[in-house]
Amino acid sequence: MFLKTIDLTTALRPAYLPDEVLLFVQDNVGLYEGKYKIPDHQNGHVYLTSHRLCYVDNDDPRKNSLAIDLKDVDRYELYTGFLKSSPKITLVPKPSKRSSIQNRAISTLGTPSRSATSSPLSRSDSPFHLPKPEPPPANTATWVCAICSHSNPVPSNFDPTTANERTPLPPCLLCGCKPAFAHVLKAAIAGTTNRQSQPTSALLKTPVPVRGRTNIPGIFNEQSSSNGLAQQTSKEATFSCRRCTFLNHPSLRSCELCGASLVSEDLPTGLDKPAPRSESPGPTLNHPAGPGMDINESIKLSFRDGGANVLHERLKGSMIQRKWLLENAPPVPKPNRASGADSVASTPGSVSTSGERVKAIGIAGLEQQRLDVQKNNELVIGTAFEDLEALMASAKEIVALAESFNSSNGLGSSESSAVANALGLVTTKEMLGGGSSSETLYISELSRNLAEFLTDDARGVLRKVGGILTLVDLWAMFNRARGGVELVSPLDFEKAARLWEKLKLPVRLRQFKSGVLVVQGSDRTDDKTIKTLLTWLKDLHSFPPERELPWDWQLFGRGVTAQDAAERFGWSIGVAEEELEMAEEKGALCREESIEGLKFWENWIGDTQFSIGTSA
Amino acid sequence: MSASLPSTSPFPFPRFYNFPPFFSRQPTLQTHHSQLRKWSTLILNYCRHHRIFKLSLIDALDTELLYNKSLDKRMGIGEVREVVEFMRKEGRAEWAGEGGKGVGGNEVWIWWRNPEEWASLFYEWVDDTAQKHTVLTLYELTESEATISQEFHGMDPDLLQKALSILVKRGKAQVFGQEDQQGVKFF
Repeated sequence: MFLKTIDLTTALRPAYLPDEVLLFVQDNVGLYEGKYKIPDHQNGHVYLTSHRLCYVDNDDPRKNSLAIDLKDVDRYELYTGFLKSSPKITLVPKPSKRSSIQNRAISTLGTPSRSATSSPLSRSDSPFHLPKPEPPPANTATWVCAICSHSNPVPSNFDPTTANERTPLPPCLLCGCKPAFAHVLKAAIAGTTNRQSQPTSALLKTPVPVRGRTNIPGIFNEQSSSNGLAQQTSKEATFSCRRCTFLNHPSLRSCELCGASLVSEDLPTGLDKPAPRSESPGPTLNHPAGPGMDINESIKLSFRDGGANVLHERLKGSMIQRKWLLENAPPVPKPNRASGADSVASTPGSVSTSGERVKAIGIAGLEQQRLDVQKNNELVIGTAFEDLEALMASAKEIVALAESFNSSNGLGSSESSAVANALGLVTTKEMLGGGSSSETLYISELSRNLAEFLTDDARGVLRKVGGILTLVDLWAMFNRARGGVELVSPLDFEKAARLWEKLKLPVRLRQFKSGVLVVQGSDRTDDKTIKTLLTWLKDLHSFPPERELPWDWQLFGRGVTAQDAAERFGWSIGVAEEELEMAEEKGALCREESIEGLKFWENWIGDTQFSIGTSA
Repeated sequence: MSASLPSTSPFPFPRFYNFPPFFSRQPTLQTHHSQLRKWSTLILNYCRHHRIFKLSLIDALDTELLYNKSLDKRMGIGEVREVVEFMRKEGRAEWAGEGGKGVGGNEVWIWWRNPEEWASLFYEWVDDTAQKHTVLTLYELTESEATISQEFHGMDPDLLQKALSILVKRGKAQVFGQEDQQGVKFF
């Protein structure tokens, strides 16, 4: 089935899958099947995520909302619109018969290169004999450091077809500077092209292992020579300078040592050709061939309020990234950046994956394991904070790490989990389409975002604070949960909060007499609050006080301060004060001012309670 | 405090006298209103019990009426004035002083019976005891043993004058005599 029903959150937004990231939102979109409009699906929001394209109807969201898995999408076309016809994006579904083949083909392509270094299986016999069914695409390429012009090997797990900005990159081996992602990508592509275009010339130059280097390329030299495969000999293909015989990297044009020109017959002819693999790693099955096309009608999205171009761009991006493939894939292995003797200890891929492990039994084994994990964690934290880009790349791991620290400390459900949940689920201004309505769209999306944030049971933001929270506190909490990026301005925030009622979301904004704005569930009314307060005060009639009281506590109960109420209900003091005053104003409570402070009592003065006679 | 014969029996305070918030001014309008009413009732009952006709607010602050020793709670002078003002509006109190000049002053008449009521009370008593057309001294009227069971026994002389002057206006009594030796004759 191409069109799927989806689950909506309490705020009437699509419920995200794990790892799913929201990319774009556009409102005022209608759906067509083939040439015909689909009834009841003509006015809604479209959410583009990394995995799906979701349509949420404005009028009846619970009934008329749909999603299209991007993995089922074969092609997409943009139609820019003409005169009165709106811009449209056409999504052509994959023929159902072939989608399974398709997936398999992709997964076989994708996984080996990713798991090659971290999978325990391939390492089981010896770290130096990697039985590889397929050559790793780019591990022979080198990149030249822009700072010190040292040529570094591109990391073995760096696959230009799947790598993106988030892929961690090792710093230059000589000067330690981080390379730009694009720089390494270019080098990797060039390396691939190089290898493909001139396997014979590389064969002629018998590779000589370079001893002076670190062990990383060494591993591959060993491996290539032992395997003796023609394709792999191109790794570390170097050629000697004709003048000084120094073995230079193939990508260099002049000798690294003596500076003599190296331009010779060895120059790869295909260097400047566009890299064929960088765009689409999939086999030709990707593109449709006639039959099976008619099984499903194509789906059109009609953008009546603009936004088609941006969505098309983002859609293109997510179709290339294919995040859904990562769902079952093992985590991206760490770059092998440790050097020297402790390289074995620090190589285990990540927190969860166990790389080669020195076999040890008993307590020593456990200790060793702990040590490994600890070392690895240090490494993760270390790389993450090295610079901002790396931090972005490792954000997910860091969050996971923070969570594991957190749970091991026994302090569950703190703010770091909020961070985890908030990451990727936030609406930012740039996710929204252009046009005159983009501002209001942003506000309403933010409003839904907030409502979700508040009502999320797992996080229990509202529950923890007794069902009521000042808007300022929420603002701080929300921005903190966004992890310090894409902060929301107070103005937008208030506007968004004021929209709750209009959007019929399950939270509401309330203004106290003093002007303080608070947030609470819409099911919590003043009457309910008063009722709980009174029940509590009534309870005080039956519990004997700690010390002798001069009044008849069985009749009158006791007075409570705002602090008592705050403790009792988990409110903040400010909220407690406001709630008590609200109840007082409604005549349910009365106050006692004394040197001990302001206390609130059940209202025995007013007429609402049973009248206490003038004489006892 | 005006001259009176304080009752020996203690005044039975109402239960809300022991309710601490009763001594704090309530900001909520409705609650405040009913607080004032309760205070007004309390003061009237207290004054009736102790035969207090004229209350000195400053002195009263330290009496049990406005100061609950067991709770260690007292009324502030401002709050008491508010209560008195409330009572005045209801016709149950009047600032003592000439022509209402004592507004906001210290002394206040507490009308647990207002002058008209006193006047008719006098007239009824005279009627009941068949003393019409006989001359009574004012002292006799309020201090003699014959009136000890009556509510006006020990009445403030100023109040007595007020009440009698009402009867005089109605033509039901005549006051004559000098300052100290005044007499009254009821018709």
